[in-house]
Amino acid sequence: MRFLVLGWVLFTLLFGCDQVKKKPVLEEVSLVGSAKLDVPDSLSKWRLFKDPLHNLEPESGVVPYDINSPLFSDYALKARFIKILAGATATYHPTEVFDFPLGTILIKNFYYQSDLSVSHSKRRVIETRLLISEKQGWNALTYVWNDEQTEATLEIAGKTVPVSWKDENGVLQNVNYSVPNLVQCKSCHERSSTMSLIGPSARQLNKQYGYSDNLMNQLEHWEELGILAALPPVDSIPKMAQWDNPGSGTLDSRARGWLEINCAHCHRAEGPAKNTGLYLLASEKDKYRLGINKPPVAAGRGSGGLKYGIVPGEPNESILVHRIESLDPGVMMPEVGRKLVHQEGVALIREWIAQMQPVSGN
Amino acid sequence: MGMKTTSPFFLLIIILFGCAKPGVEELGSDWKSIEHDLQSQLILAGDSATVELPSGHFMFTKSLSVDGNKHLIIKGQGIDKTILSFEMQEEGAEGLKIANGVSITIENFTIENAKGDNIKVTDTDGITFRNIKSQWTGQPREENGAYAFYPVLSKNVLVENCIAIGASDAGIYVGQSDSVIIRNNEAYYNVAGIESENSKWVEIYGNYTHDNTGGILVFDLPGLTQFGHTTRVFDNRIEQNNLRNFAPEGNVVATVPPGTGVMLLATRNVDIFSNNIQDNRTLGIAIASYDLVEAMATTEESQLNENIEKSKMDQGYNPYPTDIFIHENTYYNSYWFPTMENDFGLLFLVKFPMSTPDIIWDGIESPNGFDLCIREEEVEFASLDAANEFENLNRDMAPFQCEGTSIPNLF
Repeated sequence: MRFLVLGWVLFTLLFGCDQVKKKPVLEEVSLVGSAKLDVPDSLSKWRLFKDPLHNLEPESGVVPYDINSPLFSDYALKARFIKILAGATATYHPTEVFDFPLGTILIKNFYYQSDLSVSHSKRRVIETRLLISEKQGWNALTYVWNDEQTEATLEIAGKTVPVSWKDENGVLQNVNYSVPNLVQCKSCHERSSTMSLIGPSARQLNKQYGYSDNLMNQLEHWEELGILAALPPVDSIPKMAQWDNPGSGTLDSRARGWLEINCAHCHRAEGPAKNTGLYLLASEKDKYRLGINKPPVAAGRGSGGLKYGIVPGEPNESILVHRIESLDPGVMMPEVGRKLVHQEGVALIREWIAQMQPVSGN
Repeated sequence: MGMKTTSPFFLLIIILFGCAKPGVEELGSDWKSIEHDLQSQLILAGDSATVELPSGHFMFTKSLSVDGNKHLIIKGQGIDKTILSFEMQEEGAEGLKIANGVSITIENFTIENAKGDNIKVTDTDGITFRNIKSQWTGQPREENGAYAFYPVLSKNVLVENCIAIGASDAGIYVGQSDSVIIRNNEAYYNVAGIESENSKWVEIYGNYTHDNTGGILVFDLPGLTQFGHTTRVFDNRIEQNNLRNFAPEGNVVATVPPGTGVMLLATRNVDIFSNNIQDNRTLGIAIASYDLVEAMATTEESQLNENIEKSKMDQGYNPYPTDIFIHENTYYNSYWFPTMENDFGLLFLVKFPMSTPDIIWDGIESPNGFDLCIREEEVEFASLDAANEFENLNRDMAPFQCEGTSIPNLF
């Protein structure tokens, strides 16, 4: 009897107080009256890529491109293309994204290689996002690929896709990759309340690209194709540092570049996070607005008990680091678009803050 | 006495007290998902539409987003009929997020347990929250989201007949907004019951705020898109706001002492009248400058000075409150002692033994003067002289006994 009681006590202590949350299995219920969007319901109907679709071999007039410092999207790789209607041209701008003509389509394919530790592995495309320049402004559409990789279909409300791959060290990685819903597109692509582009600026596009027949500067190639006007001499065009390439810029410029592409689409004066007073464009010169010794405004528990956005020399005391390291939906930054921590990006920001000298005023 | 009699007792005690919390938290079996269909409907709704939420308990794993709609109504079947839970949220910081809308009405449902804010509405002209309960269930705790109701950067905001429970910052929070009515709501178990921040033309009336850390706050902070002014706070019941402060450090509300009725921070043109301010153990109404909050939130002296300098450099920001009229409120405090969980509580305990003041000014005066009028019968006042280590702390209300300017109805 004594042992029985003792056993019971032990059992209760060991297992009784485990905070196990039992997740209920949710029954999906349909609502009546769901409408449809009047746009092509599959990617192939856009005729942007040749058959078979999964080779992503562009049709004529569809031009591949790349940018210097891309947004982190759970280690997904991206294949970008642009289609500008024949006879139309984009106009160069030194600081902002270019002015693209009506009918322009920007195409971004998100994919994973099954094994990054070998040179050739199988590619799995997860989703293809289109930004289309229409009379009312830019319109965003998302197509999710089927398991057979033969077609992608329109997705309005977003979707979660489990993905596995081996990283550069051969270590298996998993993520519940999240395809955004159409409103979430705007949560990044918003400036002054309207849908806007983020990537295709001179600073981002100013780089070499390996076309099928030659290697050349993308902007010069676009000019050659007749789709870009008013291009100044290439050596006078600004260039954004590549966050992961120390040869491309100083630590400061690479960190600021990473912050700009990962944060400043919201954290700028015209962006949806303007209410925070935290502005992270690489061109921001005000240290307080950049977060240095700035208390949070509406961070709630996002502050993690820390007092300032950035504390020079103290990455562990900086709310910014706390939030880019978090995976808690109520804390993490950016709020959407990632389920994993961008380890290399965080390391860069930590290094940048660690070497900052304490400042006095601005 | 053998084991036969003691062991059942032993077991009973273990069963009763062995676990402070239940071992397995059941979420219940009647939760259903309408996530995909509802999100699709909200995206495709377009203008002049009504989206009906059915009766039932619905669980969500992602934020619900609404953007760019005009004249949209989102309508449940009632507070006890339509329950939206974000307990299992894996994505997005808010429960429901509405952006860039015109004339939006949301009503008649309960929303709970989002990982961040329960309902955030931003950049919207015309937003009505009506008959909504927004809550975090369980004990009030730091892990709860910041705001239950969070209209920000919006115009023509109406929050009425709503209930806000358990927010780790403010139950009903209006930020950087213009033309706001917060009326006939109930807020409890929040750090701040109701907070208006950097907002202008605001009326807060007919509300019942109780059992928060602070009942009603009107704040102005530096470095934001706009500054606030002109707020009327009247006909509210502000009672028993004595909850411990569970706001995460770093947030300005973390400095509010438990037992605060009303607190004004660095704001101007405020009319506070006809409220019942009762049993808030530490103070009835506090009037503070941003200097004071910074001093409370900052440990390093150099940092403090730098931030004060910064706030002064922010053009248009005034770190000092002014143009305040307090009249015809009812004060009653049955507590003998203020809170001991906060430096100010401890200060009051020493300086005002057994009689905590009803109205407190930090005594940090703007170079441009300080304009406060108090017209109350039987009220205890204190000026802290906080800038000079409380050297000239006094209870002389005479300089502030005057007839102030009432703000006429705003709407």
